[in-house]
Amino acid sequence: MINHRPTRFAVILPLMMLATAMGTLPAGAQSSPTIGRVKIVTGAAFVVRAGTPVPATPGLALLETDSLKTGADGRLGVSLNDDTRISIGPDSEARLSRYRYAPAQGAIALVLNFIRGAAVYASGQIAKLSPDAVRLETPAAIVGVRGTTVAVRVDPE
Amino acid sequence: MTRARVGFAAVGLTCALASGCVRVARVAGEPERPPHDLAVLLPDPDGTVGRATVSNASGATELSEARAATRISPNQAPSPATVMSEADVQREFGDALASLPPAPQTFTLYFQFESEDLTPDSKALVTATLQAVKGRPVPDVLVVGHTDTTGPATLNFQLALRRAQTVRALLMTAGLDDSAIVVASHGESQPLVPTPDDTYEPRNRRVLITVR
Repeated sequence: MINHRPTRFAVILPLMMLATAMGTLPAGAQSSPTIGRVKIVTGAAFVVRAGTPVPATPGLALLETDSLKTGADGRLGVSLNDDTRISIGPDSEARLSRYRYAPAQGAIALVLNFIRGAAVYASGQIAKLSPDAVRLETPAAIVGVRGTTVAVRVDPE
Repeated sequence: MTRARVGFAAVGLTCALASGCVRVARVAGEPERPPHDLAVLLPDPDGTVGRATVSNASGATELSEARAATRISPNQAPSPATVMSEADVQREFGDALASLPPAPQTFTLYFQFESEDLTPDSKALVTATLQAVKGRPVPDVLVVGHTDTTGPATLNFQLALRRAQTVRALLMTAGLDDSAIVVASHGESQPLVPTPDDTYEPRNRRVLITVR
């Protein structure tokens, strides 16, 4: 339980260390910190983790290197810790290839791979803090953003 | 599996990849069209339009107005920017756009001097904050505490954390699960209004709440 009014240093110190280590986004110093959450799910929609599709449910935590994937009737919308938002339409796939959001440590990066279908990216704090830290990649090009919303469609191979 | 392609018929790009042409040609009754990626710049929620640069080894195209679009075929430079109609954007991206989570909302609550008690004005804002949280289908909330520069930085770190925890308690009382709340302290390190050290500044004694 969290002490709302910690008066003993024994309580404060671990909290301080935790918050300091994790900077603005103390979502976890664990090996696989949550980078965001599934927000909107329609039809067949999955989070593919280490090759295994997990049915997407609202609130499901996302990890770095997860892929978002939908079937013919699927749609999926997620938000990431830095307020970045991503959604994909039916028969679509996008991979959260790289994600770092620890501004206090100067560690920020977002690499999204649009693999197929339709996707929308709406920028968050990472793009605001360091536009060059954001790379949206399609099979044929890289999209660099200056704080903005971009829609991308990738033809299936 | 294969989507309707009629919307691309008007694009009129030359065929870049033989394999792609074969694939498209397999779709009975549809005009041939080359495979290509499409990137479109859209207005941000506040109506402003940012910029995007679409590049590959063959070239780059700058997108700088609402619905400016470029098409990218393998081994070719992105096409010059053209502006898509709203209807075309909806046809291509309507499903994805409909599933984009709403933009985050932020609230700032202010605190009394050297205290984790809200100012009277901010107490009145708590209801609106909680309503914003409840209005989200799957809310998660970031709560970051701050202080002014009065007093030692180490104590201010703790004070800012206690302020953030006060807000966390309010959110939990309103029914939000602890797992949906992330609390952090920035102490006196990120003042809203920059000041010298040891400066009394009510506007810096705050908790910033981001509702996603």
